[in-house]
Amino acid sequence: MTPHQRSGISMAGSNLQWRPPRSCDVYWSEFKHCRSWKHWFHEYYTYGRAPECQHWKQDYQSCKEWESTRSVLAKESLLESERKRIADQRNFTPVWELRQKPPEDWDLPLNQGKPQDP
Amino acid sequence: PLVAYHVTQKTVVGVTSFTARARARHAMAQSSAKEENDHQTKESMAGSEKKTGTERYSEDYGYRLFPERKEYKYKSLIAESLFTFRHKCQLMLTFAMERMDKNRHFSCEDCDSIVSGGFDATTSQIVLCQNNIHQQSHMNRVVIHELIHAFDHCRARVDWFNNLRHLACSEIRAANLSGDCSFINEMFRVNSGFKKHHQECVRWRARRSMDAVRNVSQKELDLVIDEVFDSCFKDHAPFDRIPHSKKDAKFAYRDFQNRDRYYANL
Repeated sequence: MTPHQRSGISMAGSNLQWRPPRSCDVYWSEFKHCRSWKHWFHEYYTYGRAPECQHWKQDYQSCKEWESTRSVLAKESLLESERKRIADQRNFTPVWELRQKPPEDWDLPLNQGKPQDP
Repeated sequence: PLVAYHVTQKTVVGVTSFTARARARHAMAQSSAKEENDHQTKESMAGSEKKTGTERYSEDYGYRLFPERKEYKYKSLIAESLFTFRHKCQLMLTFAMERMDKNRHFSCEDCDSIVSGGFDATTSQIVLCQNNIHQQSHMNRVVIHELIHAFDHCRARVDWFNNLRHLACSEIRAANLSGDCSFINEMFRVNSGFKKHHQECVRWRARRSMDAVRNVSQKELDLVIDEVFDSCFKDHAPFDRIPHSKKDAKFAYRDFQNRDRYYANL
Protein backbone atom coordinates (compact mmCIF):
# COMPACT_ATOMS: atom_id res chain seq x y z
CA MET A 1 0.00 0.00 0.00
CA THR A 2 1.16 3.49 -0.71
CA PRO A 3 1.23 6.03 2.12
CA HIS A 4 -1.67 7.78 0.41
CA GLN A 5 -3.85 4.68 0.55
CA ARG A 6 -2.83 3.91 4.11
CA SER A 7 -3.87 7.34 5.34
CA GLY A 8 -7.52 6.59 4.61
CA ILE A 9 -7.72 3.55 6.90
CA SER A 10 -8.79 4.00 10.48
CA MET A 11 -6.44 2.28 12.90
CA ALA A 12 -5.94 2.27 16.63
CA GLY A 13 -3.92 5.20 17.92
CA SER A 14 -5.02 8.82 17.57
CA ASN A 15 -2.03 9.79 15.47
CA LEU A 16 -3.00 7.35 12.74
CA GLN A 17 -6.69 8.33 12.74
CA TRP A 18 -5.85 11.94 12.09
CA ARG A 19 -5.44 13.15 8.54
CA PRO A 20 -4.72 16.59 7.10
CA PRO A 21 -7.75 18.92 7.15
CA ARG A 22 -7.53 19.15 3.39
CA SER A 23 -6.14 16.69 0.92
CA CYS A 24 -2.68 17.59 -0.34
CA ASP A 25 -3.79 18.38 -3.87
CA VAL A 26 -6.14 21.01 -2.46
CA TYR A 27 -3.19 22.84 -0.89
CA TRP A 28 -1.35 22.69 -4.18
CA SER A 29 -4.30 24.02 -6.18
CA GLU A 30 -4.74 26.86 -3.67
CA PHE A 31 -1.07 27.70 -4.08
CA LYS A 32 -1.31 27.74 -7.86
CA HIS A 33 -4.47 29.81 -7.73
CA CYS A 34 -2.88 32.25 -5.30
CA ARG A 35 0.05 32.74 -7.64
CA SER A 36 -2.05 33.34 -10.74
CA TRP A 37 -2.07 36.80 -12.29
CA LYS A 38 -5.84 36.94 -11.94
CA HIS A 39 -5.61 36.48 -8.20
CA TRP A 40 -2.84 39.07 -7.98
CA PHE A 41 -5.11 41.48 -9.81
CA HIS A 42 -8.04 40.87 -7.45
CA GLU A 43 -5.87 41.12 -4.36
CA TYR A 44 -4.42 44.43 -5.48
CA TYR A 45 -7.85 45.73 -6.48
CA THR A 46 -9.22 44.81 -3.05
CA TYR A 47 -6.36 45.38 -0.63
CA GLY A 48 -3.79 47.40 -2.56
CA ARG A 49 -1.08 44.79 -2.08
CA ALA A 50 0.29 41.63 -3.63
CA PRO A 51 -0.98 38.33 -2.21
CA GLU A 52 1.08 36.13 0.07
CA CYS A 53 1.11 32.58 -1.18
CA GLN A 54 4.04 30.88 0.52
CA HIS A 55 1.89 29.50 3.33
CA TRP A 56 -0.06 27.35 0.85
CA LYS A 57 3.13 25.87 -0.52
CA GLN A 58 4.39 25.24 3.01
CA ASP A 59 1.15 23.48 3.88
CA TYR A 60 1.38 21.35 0.77
CA GLN A 61 4.89 20.30 1.73
CA SER A 62 3.83 19.52 5.30
CA CYS A 63 0.92 17.50 3.98
CA LYS A 64 3.10 15.43 1.66
CA GLU A 65 5.66 14.93 4.39
CA TRP A 66 3.04 13.69 6.80
CA GLU A 67 1.71 11.30 4.17
CA SER A 68 5.09 9.74 3.61
CA THR A 69 6.64 9.83 7.11
CA ARG A 70 3.76 10.51 9.56
CA SER A 71 5.97 13.23 10.98
CA VAL A 72 4.56 14.88 14.09
CA LEU A 73 6.33 18.12 13.19
CA ALA A 74 4.64 18.17 9.80
CA LYS A 75 1.25 17.58 11.43
CA GLU A 76 1.82 20.35 13.98
CA SER A 77 3.00 22.75 11.30
CA LEU A 78 -0.11 22.08 9.25
CA LEU A 79 -2.44 22.44 12.23
CA GLU A 80 -0.80 25.69 13.28
CA SER A 81 -1.10 27.10 9.79
CA GLU A 82 -4.78 26.18 9.45
CA ARG A 83 -5.65 27.52 12.88
CA LYS A 84 -3.94 30.78 12.07
CA ARG A 85 -5.90 30.94 8.83
CA ILE A 86 -9.17 30.55 10.74
CA ALA A 87 -8.09 33.09 13.38
CA ASP A 88 -7.36 35.61 10.63
CA GLN A 89 -10.78 35.02 9.10
CA ARG A 90 -12.43 35.65 12.46
CA ASN A 91 -10.28 38.62 13.40
CA PHE A 92 -13.13 41.12 13.77
CA THR A 93 -15.69 42.07 16.38
CA PRO A 94 -19.17 41.13 15.14
CA VAL A 95 -21.67 43.92 14.89
CA TRP A 96 -24.54 41.65 15.82
CA GLU A 97 -25.31 38.68 18.03
CA LEU A 98 -25.34 35.31 16.30
CA ARG A 99 -28.38 33.07 16.53
CA GLN A 100 -28.59 29.48 17.69
CA LYS A 101 -31.35 28.73 15.20
CA PRO A 102 -33.15 30.59 12.40
CA PRO A 103 -36.02 33.00 13.13
CA GLU A 104 -39.20 31.13 13.95
CA ASP A 105 -41.20 32.74 11.15
CA TRP A 106 -38.57 31.94 8.54
CA ASP A 107 -40.63 29.27 6.81
CA LEU A 108 -44.16 30.18 7.80
CA PRO A 109 -46.62 30.09 4.88
CA LEU A 110 -47.21 33.37 3.12
CA ASN A 111 -50.52 35.22 3.11
CA GLN A 112 -53.20 33.95 0.80
CA GLY A 113 -53.92 36.15 -2.16
CA LYS A 114 -50.46 37.62 -2.43
CA PRO A 115 -49.06 38.19 -5.91
CA GLN A 116 -47.92 34.99 -7.48
CA ASP A 117 -44.52 33.79 -6.28
CA PRO A 118 -42.08 31.89 -8.51
CA PRO B 1 -30.30 28.91 6.41
CA LEU B 2 -30.53 29.83 2.76
CA VAL B 3 -27.00 29.80 1.54
CA ALA B 4 -25.99 30.23 -2.05
CA TYR B 5 -22.90 28.66 -3.52
CA HIS B 6 -23.73 29.27 -7.13
CA VAL B 7 -21.53 32.30 -7.27
CA THR B 8 -21.13 33.13 -10.92
CA GLN B 9 -19.02 36.00 -12.05
CA LYS B 10 -19.93 36.34 -15.70
CA THR B 11 -18.89 39.44 -17.52
CA VAL B 12 -21.69 41.97 -17.32
CA VAL B 13 -22.71 43.51 -20.60
CA GLY B 14 -24.85 46.59 -20.53
CA VAL B 15 -25.38 46.91 -16.80
CA THR B 16 -28.50 48.82 -16.05
CA SER B 17 -28.15 52.14 -14.33
CA PHE B 18 -30.16 51.30 -11.26
CA THR B 19 -28.26 49.07 -8.99
CA ALA B 20 -29.33 50.20 -5.55
CA ARG B 21 -30.56 47.44 -3.30
CA ALA B 22 -33.52 48.22 -1.06
CA ARG B 23 -34.97 46.36 1.84
CA ALA B 24 -38.66 46.73 2.45
CA ARG B 25 -40.83 46.38 5.49
CA HIS B 26 -43.85 44.19 4.85
CA ALA B 27 -46.57 46.14 6.55
CA MET B 28 -47.38 49.61 5.32
CA ALA B 29 -45.91 51.78 8.02
CA GLN B 30 -48.87 54.00 8.63
CA SER B 31 -52.13 52.69 7.26
CA SER B 32 -52.00 48.94 7.53
CA ALA B 33 -50.19 48.68 10.84
CA LYS B 34 -53.55 48.22 12.49
CA GLU B 35 -54.87 45.68 9.99
CA GLU B 36 -54.91 42.09 11.00
CA ASN B 37 -52.16 40.29 9.29
CA ASP B 38 -50.89 36.79 9.92
CA HIS B 39 -47.30 37.88 9.61
CA GLN B 40 -47.33 41.04 11.63
CA THR B 41 -44.72 40.20 14.19
CA LYS B 42 -44.75 41.97 17.49
CA GLU B 43 -41.50 43.74 16.62
CA SER B 44 -42.78 45.16 13.37
CA MET B 45 -45.98 46.51 14.92
CA ALA B 46 -44.09 48.06 17.76
CA GLY B 47 -41.66 49.52 15.31
CA SER B 48 -44.34 51.14 13.17
CA GLU B 49 -46.09 52.69 16.15
CA LYS B 50 -42.82 53.93 17.52
CA LYS B 51 -41.84 55.55 14.28
CA THR B 52 -45.08 57.41 13.57
CA GLY B 53 -44.88 61.10 14.32
CA THR B 54 -41.23 61.12 15.31
CA GLU B 55 -39.57 61.47 11.88
CA ARG B 56 -39.37 64.64 9.84
CA TYR B 57 -40.51 62.64 6.81
CA SER B 58 -42.63 59.56 7.16
CA GLU B 59 -40.27 56.58 7.30
CA ASP B 60 -41.58 53.83 5.11
CA TYR B 61 -38.42 51.71 5.26
CA GLY B 62 -38.29 51.67 1.46
CA TYR B 63 -41.69 50.09 0.86
CA ARG B 64 -42.65 52.79 -1.63
CA LEU B 65 -40.08 51.26 -4.00
CA PHE B 66 -41.85 47.88 -3.96
CA PRO B 67 -45.53 48.70 -4.60
CA GLU B 68 -46.49 45.07 -5.20
CA ARG B 69 -45.56 44.23 -1.58
CA LYS B 70 -48.71 46.07 -0.52
CA GLU B 71 -51.13 44.55 -2.97
CA TYR B 72 -53.23 41.67 -1.86
CA LYS B 73 -55.56 41.46 -4.86
CA TYR B 74 -55.58 38.35 -6.96
CA LYS B 75 -53.91 38.84 -10.32
CA SER B 76 -54.72 36.83 -13.42
CA LEU B 77 -51.80 34.55 -14.26
CA ILE B 78 -52.38 35.01 -17.97
CA ALA B 79 -52.39 38.78 -17.69
CA GLU B 80 -49.29 38.58 -15.53
CA SER B 81 -47.37 36.52 -18.06
CA LEU B 82 -48.58 38.50 -21.08
CA PHE B 83 -48.17 42.02 -19.79
CA THR B 84 -45.33 41.86 -17.30
CA PHE B 85 -41.80 40.47 -17.17
CA ARG B 86 -42.80 37.95 -14.53
CA HIS B 87 -42.22 34.86 -16.62
CA LYS B 88 -38.83 36.06 -17.77
CA CYS B 89 -37.86 36.90 -14.22
CA GLN B 90 -38.90 33.47 -13.02
CA LEU B 91 -36.99 31.75 -15.80
CA MET B 92 -33.81 33.65 -15.05
CA LEU B 93 -34.26 32.95 -11.37
CA THR B 94 -34.54 29.24 -12.16
CA PHE B 95 -31.22 29.30 -13.94
CA ALA B 96 -29.63 31.20 -11.08
CA MET B 97 -31.02 28.92 -8.40
CA GLU B 98 -30.85 25.46 -9.83
CA ARG B 99 -30.91 23.69 -6.53
CA MET B 100 -32.84 26.03 -4.27
CA ASP B 101 -36.50 26.11 -3.37
CA LYS B 102 -37.69 29.39 -4.79
CA ASN B 103 -41.38 28.96 -4.18
CA ARG B 104 -41.43 30.35 -0.69
CA HIS B 105 -38.53 32.72 -0.44
CA PHE B 106 -38.49 34.51 -3.79
CA SER B 107 -40.94 36.80 -5.53
CA CYS B 108 -40.77 38.42 -8.97
CA GLU B 109 -42.50 41.80 -8.88
CA ASP B 110 -42.64 45.19 -10.54
CA CYS B 111 -40.66 47.77 -8.59
CA ASP B 112 -39.58 51.36 -8.69
CA SER B 113 -37.07 52.05 -11.44
CA ILE B 114 -34.15 52.65 -9.11
CA VAL B 115 -34.04 49.21 -7.51
CA SER B 116 -33.15 45.77 -8.80
CA GLY B 117 -34.15 43.73 -5.78
CA GLY B 118 -34.69 43.66 -2.06
CA PHE B 119 -35.00 41.49 1.01
CA ASP B 120 -38.22 41.66 2.99
CA ALA B 121 -37.28 40.72 6.53
CA THR B 122 -40.88 40.47 7.71
CA THR B 123 -41.72 37.65 5.33
CA SER B 124 -38.18 36.35 4.79
CA GLN B 125 -38.59 36.87 1.07
CA ILE B 126 -36.25 38.02 -1.61
CA VAL B 127 -37.87 40.41 -4.05
CA LEU B 128 -36.64 40.45 -7.63
CA CYS B 129 -37.60 43.41 -9.79
CA GLN B 130 -38.86 41.81 -12.97
CA ASN B 131 -39.16 45.14 -14.73
CA ASN B 132 -35.53 46.03 -14.05
CA ILE B 133 -33.58 42.78 -14.44
CA HIS B 134 -33.19 41.82 -18.07
CA GLN B 135 -29.98 39.83 -18.19
CA GLN B 136 -29.02 36.55 -16.58
CA SER B 137 -25.76 37.97 -15.25
CA HIS B 138 -27.64 40.76 -13.53
CA MET B 139 -30.11 38.28 -12.07
CA ASN B 140 -27.27 36.16 -10.73
CA ARG B 141 -25.72 39.11 -9.00
CA VAL B 142 -28.99 40.38 -7.50
CA VAL B 143 -29.82 36.90 -6.18
CA ILE B 144 -26.44 36.55 -4.52
CA HIS B 145 -26.68 40.03 -3.03
CA GLU B 146 -30.10 39.39 -1.54
CA LEU B 147 -29.11 35.94 -0.35
CA ILE B 148 -26.36 37.55 1.72
CA HIS B 149 -29.09 39.56 3.46
CA ALA B 150 -31.20 36.44 3.87
CA PHE B 151 -28.21 34.60 5.27
CA ASP B 152 -27.56 37.37 7.79
CA HIS B 153 -31.24 37.40 8.74
CA CYS B 154 -31.08 33.68 9.35
CA ARG B 155 -27.82 33.39 11.30
CA ALA B 156 -27.83 36.60 13.34
CA ARG B 157 -30.18 38.75 15.36
CA VAL B 158 -30.28 41.55 12.85
CA ASP B 159 -32.45 44.49 13.80
CA TRP B 160 -33.14 45.65 10.25
CA PHE B 161 -35.53 48.44 11.12
CA ASN B 162 -34.10 50.08 14.21
CA ASN B 163 -30.36 49.54 14.04
CA LEU B 164 -28.58 51.40 11.25
CA ARG B 165 -25.31 49.66 12.11
CA HIS B 166 -26.86 46.27 11.43
CA LEU B 167 -28.31 47.48 8.14
CA ALA B 168 -24.99 49.01 7.13
CA CYS B 169 -23.13 45.83 8.01
CA SER B 170 -25.32 43.64 5.85
CA GLU B 171 -25.14 46.09 2.95
CA ILE B 172 -21.35 46.23 3.19
CA ARG B 173 -21.20 42.44 3.15
CA ALA B 174 -23.65 42.13 0.28
CA ALA B 175 -21.77 44.66 -1.86
CA ASN B 176 -18.46 43.02 -0.94
CA LEU B 177 -19.35 39.40 -1.61
CA SER B 178 -21.84 39.47 -4.48
CA GLY B 179 -19.68 40.78 -7.29
CA ASP B 180 -21.42 44.17 -7.22
CA CYS B 181 -18.00 45.77 -6.97
CA SER B 182 -16.07 43.62 -9.35
CA PHE B 183 -13.60 45.46 -11.53
CA ILE B 184 -15.62 44.71 -14.64
CA ASN B 185 -18.85 46.05 -13.15
CA GLU B 186 -17.15 49.21 -11.97
CA MET B 187 -15.60 49.64 -15.36
CA PHE B 188 -19.04 49.52 -16.99
CA ARG B 189 -20.26 52.10 -14.50
CA VAL B 190 -17.32 54.23 -15.63
CA ASN B 191 -15.99 54.43 -12.11
CA SER B 192 -12.27 54.82 -12.28
CA GLY B 193 -9.87 53.42 -9.75
CA PHE B 194 -7.81 50.33 -9.26
CA LYS B 195 -5.76 50.11 -6.10
CA LYS B 196 -8.12 49.28 -3.25
CA HIS B 197 -10.98 50.56 -5.38
CA HIS B 198 -13.07 47.58 -4.34
CA GLN B 199 -13.41 49.03 -0.86
CA GLU B 200 -14.43 52.44 -2.14
CA CYS B 201 -17.06 50.81 -4.29
CA VAL B 202 -18.39 48.79 -1.35
CA ARG B 203 -18.72 51.92 0.78
CA TRP B 204 -20.44 53.83 -1.99
CA ARG B 205 -22.91 51.10 -2.80
CA ALA B 206 -23.72 50.44 0.84
CA ARG B 207 -24.43 54.12 1.33
CA ARG B 208 -26.57 54.22 -1.78
CA SER B 209 -28.61 51.17 -0.77
CA MET B 210 -29.23 52.57 2.69
CA ASP B 211 -30.13 55.97 1.28
CA ALA B 212 -32.87 54.40 -0.81
CA VAL B 213 -34.67 52.93 2.18
CA ARG B 214 -34.00 55.26 5.07
CA ASN B 215 -34.75 58.93 5.75
CA VAL B 216 -31.32 59.63 7.14
CA SER B 217 -28.77 62.25 6.11
CA GLN B 218 -25.79 61.28 3.98
CA LYS B 219 -23.49 62.44 6.75
CA GLU B 220 -25.07 60.15 9.28
CA LEU B 221 -24.97 57.26 6.81
CA ASP B 222 -21.26 57.85 6.24
CA LEU B 223 -20.61 57.89 9.98
CA VAL B 224 -22.44 54.62 10.49
CA ILE B 225 -20.68 52.95 7.58
CA ASP B 226 -17.28 54.11 8.82
CA GLU B 227 -18.07 52.76 12.25
CA VAL B 228 -18.81 49.21 11.09
CA PHE B 229 -16.75 48.97 7.90
CA ASP B 230 -13.63 47.32 9.26
CA SER B 231 -15.56 44.59 11.00
CA CYS B 232 -18.09 43.90 8.27
CA PHE B 233 -15.66 44.02 5.37
CA LYS B 234 -13.69 41.23 7.02
CA ASP B 235 -16.76 39.07 7.60
CA HIS B 236 -16.88 36.84 4.52
CA ALA B 237 -19.34 34.26 5.82
CA PRO B 238 -20.52 31.89 4.39
CA PHE B 239 -17.42 32.02 2.20
CA ASP B 240 -13.85 31.72 3.40
CA ARG B 241 -12.76 34.43 0.98
CA ILE B 242 -14.19 37.20 -1.18
CA PRO B 243 -15.31 35.35 -4.33
CA HIS B 244 -13.87 37.48 -7.11
CA SER B 245 -13.78 34.81 -9.79
CA LYS B 246 -15.36 31.54 -10.77
CA LYS B 247 -12.36 29.76 -9.37
CA ASP B 248 -12.71 31.51 -6.03
CA ALA B 249 -16.32 30.41 -5.94
CA LYS B 250 -15.43 26.89 -6.94
CA PHE B 251 -12.78 26.64 -4.24
CA ALA B 252 -15.06 28.13 -1.61
CA TYR B 253 -17.69 25.56 -2.52
CA ARG B 254 -15.11 22.79 -2.39
CA ASP B 255 -14.18 23.87 1.14
CA PHE B 256 -17.83 23.88 2.10
CA GLN B 257 -18.25 20.32 0.81
CA ASN B 258 -15.20 19.21 2.78
CA ARG B 259 -16.05 21.09 5.96
CA ASP B 260 -16.68 17.96 8.02
CA ARG B 261 -13.23 16.59 7.38
CA TYR B 262 -11.71 20.03 7.85
CA TYR B 263 -13.08 20.73 11.31
CA ALA B 264 -12.78 17.12 12.47
CA ASN B 265 -9.03 17.25 11.90
CA LEU B 266 -8.32 20.61 13.44
